[in-house]
Amino acid sequence: MRLHRSGWVVATALVAVGALALAGCKGGGSDEPSKPGGAVELKIAFWGDFGLDELKAKYEAANPNVKIVLNSGEYNAQHEDLQKKLIAGSGAPDIAAIDEGFIVSFRSQADKFVNLLDKGASKYQDKYLGWKWKQSLSADGKTQIGLGTDVGGLAMCYRTDLFKAAGLPVERDKVSALWPTWDDFIKTGQDYTAKSKKKFVDNGTNLFNPILGQQPVGFYDESETLKMDGGPKAAFDMTLKAVGAGLSANLPAFSPEWNAGFVKGDFAVLACPAWMQGHIKNTAPDTAGKWDVAAIPGGGGNWGGSFLTVPKQSKNADEAYKLLEWLIQPEQQIEIFKKVGNLPSQPALYKDPAIADFKNPFFSNAPVGQIFSKTAEGLTPQYLGKKNGPTRVAVENVINSVQAGTTKAADAWAQALKEADKASKA
Amino acid sequence: MRGLSHRLHRFDVKHMPYVLIAPFFILFAIFGLFPLIFNGVVALRTWRLDDPAQDGWAGLANFERLLTDEDFGNALYNTFGIFVLSTVPQLLLALCVAFLLNRRLRGQTWFRVSMLLPYITPLTASTLVFLVVFGRDTGVANWVLSVVGVDAIDWRAGKLQSWVAIATMVNWKWIGYNALLYLSAMQTIPRDIYEASALDGATAWKQLWRITVPMILPVVIFTVVLSTIGGLQLFTEPMLLDSNPASASGGSNGEWQTIAQLIYKVGWKNLNLGYAAAMSWALFLIIVVVAVVNTVLTNRLGGGKR
Repeated sequence: MRLHRSGWVVATALVAVGALALAGCKGGGSDEPSKPGGAVELKIAFWGDFGLDELKAKYEAANPNVKIVLNSGEYNAQHEDLQKKLIAGSGAPDIAAIDEGFIVSFRSQADKFVNLLDKGASKYQDKYLGWKWKQSLSADGKTQIGLGTDVGGLAMCYRTDLFKAAGLPVERDKVSALWPTWDDFIKTGQDYTAKSKKKFVDNGTNLFNPILGQQPVGFYDESETLKMDGGPKAAFDMTLKAVGAGLSANLPAFSPEWNAGFVKGDFAVLACPAWMQGHIKNTAPDTAGKWDVAAIPGGGGNWGGSFLTVPKQSKNADEAYKLLEWLIQPEQQIEIFKKVGNLPSQPALYKDPAIADFKNPFFSNAPVGQIFSKTAEGLTPQYLGKKNGPTRVAVENVINSVQAGTTKAADAWAQALKEADKASKA
Repeated sequence: MRGLSHRLHRFDVKHMPYVLIAPFFILFAIFGLFPLIFNGVVALRTWRLDDPAQDGWAGLANFERLLTDEDFGNALYNTFGIFVLSTVPQLLLALCVAFLLNRRLRGQTWFRVSMLLPYITPLTASTLVFLVVFGRDTGVANWVLSVVGVDAIDWRAGKLQSWVAIATMVNWKWIGYNALLYLSAMQTIPRDIYEASALDGATAWKQLWRITVPMILPVVIFTVVLSTIGGLQLFTEPMLLDSNPASASGGSNGEWQTIAQLIYKVGWKNLNLGYAAAMSWALFLIIVVVAVVNTVLTNRLGGGKR
């Protein structure tokens, strides 16, 4: 009898432990909204370097009740993650950065974001480049899901020391004069590789993207039809021409090898949207003063540029908007520009001496403020379809496989058509 | 009172065993069985995270699409290629290692423990070290090749070399683990059988194949089934080999994209959950078939009669 009773006790205890373990699996999340008076935690999700580290400290100092959590991840993964969490209904950050390459697919789910017009964002409409404001506006024009941070006006960054060693001019106007067109650019590259025995550009994909950004129509037209024969074909052909001429160091963009390439000087030029400056500076700080910025062949264009949005599931939407609004104020935007080079999308700032007169010592004191704002003002942006992101990745993969030698250049375009088509339907 | 104690006793004898094993089965039902069944339901539906408006029963459409999907065929091919390159040498080498360890050696324990080191190393850590080995421009593997006069290999540029790179990582991790399993089975074989065969003039090689392997056959079958399951679900190594580990594309041209990677890509990057669920079920069925075939084959080769 005694034995049986103790058996009972043990069994009950076991079941209880099991039940507790199960309960433990269910709970645990700290999803409760923050208590009034307690600390408000605001999560910001983005990729690369948005130049937020010091601004975070500044904002937290001014708003002691707010704690900001920065979450930087891989570019594609952050957008996919946001999409998952929007559907799942929880887990999204309080402020989510969205790149222009993905904005169309998110603005068509405008009901999942806080309408910033309700929060009084309409007063900023006139401050933005017209197209930038429209990019994040829902189709019916009634919901503004995000406010623009930067635009990716294009220029060409180049290594003055490597140019000099190869007998090329180093002064930025003369360098710009070397390559009014992409064909001239390839000729200059052949000249460089012949003399230096080194590769000229980092990777074919980093030619493809800016050339595509210069075309009137990108992967998709406004009716969401895949249009590979227009802009993408032109950009693809020019890219393969450069690859075929032996200019590419074949370092997959944003890979560790690519980053090592900056340090080792494996390539002499790099297509430079404004936001790329920060990456170069962070990756190869020792190359300070060895870079300069010239015009990009083929005229103006845009590559990248982001928005800050507040997903509706944020428990602290008001605080999130307050932070977002603070971040897009001229003072902060100029701060970010100086730190990582991201060019603001509010044209009035281009005339602000803080930007207009800004010379970047890392880039041989190039007047990057003027250079990049000039490219941004004269811009007619492309429509970027809902599937723009995955389509771009698919075509980049084909370019990479040509560079690796697994796909023959002659078959590459057919392959790109097939992969892009697959991506558009995936 | 007597009645209560009687009922308690009956409960204890008849039902207590079930109560005691219940926690496992409750957990299994929630985290094992439910996902499996729910996955089957999802496989029959259209479920897209990027377009929630598309929703509803799809019937077998997802499975039909699988049959003509080039990407799936490619992933299947890669998975089997890597599977053969990793499992076969892995188990054979493990057998040889176990056979050697089973002899009288100096520092026996040291050897046995060190065999297990790769197994207890975290997978991500060891894979990241292998990435340094298999780097294209500065990798150790290419340096060794250059010493013996072979041209540098771009390990990510083709099927065969990327498969070899991944198979090397898998083999390195699992040879010791399998060897220890074999070793423990070998130690149950009575010494006098070996002694008798030695008297009859059997060589070490003959002893291995005629005595050892048949006598440890159940363990061999167990390792074959386990490595079949593991090999066909290969995920971490191919993911990390990519220059952009978040892309899940297994190389710029899908050179080494495994099925597990493709499922991840379709589900969580293309956000097509219905189709990904269908792929998971297809993978499940493939594993069952391959595991059964492997078991039968091993049994035959080992001379078993089960």
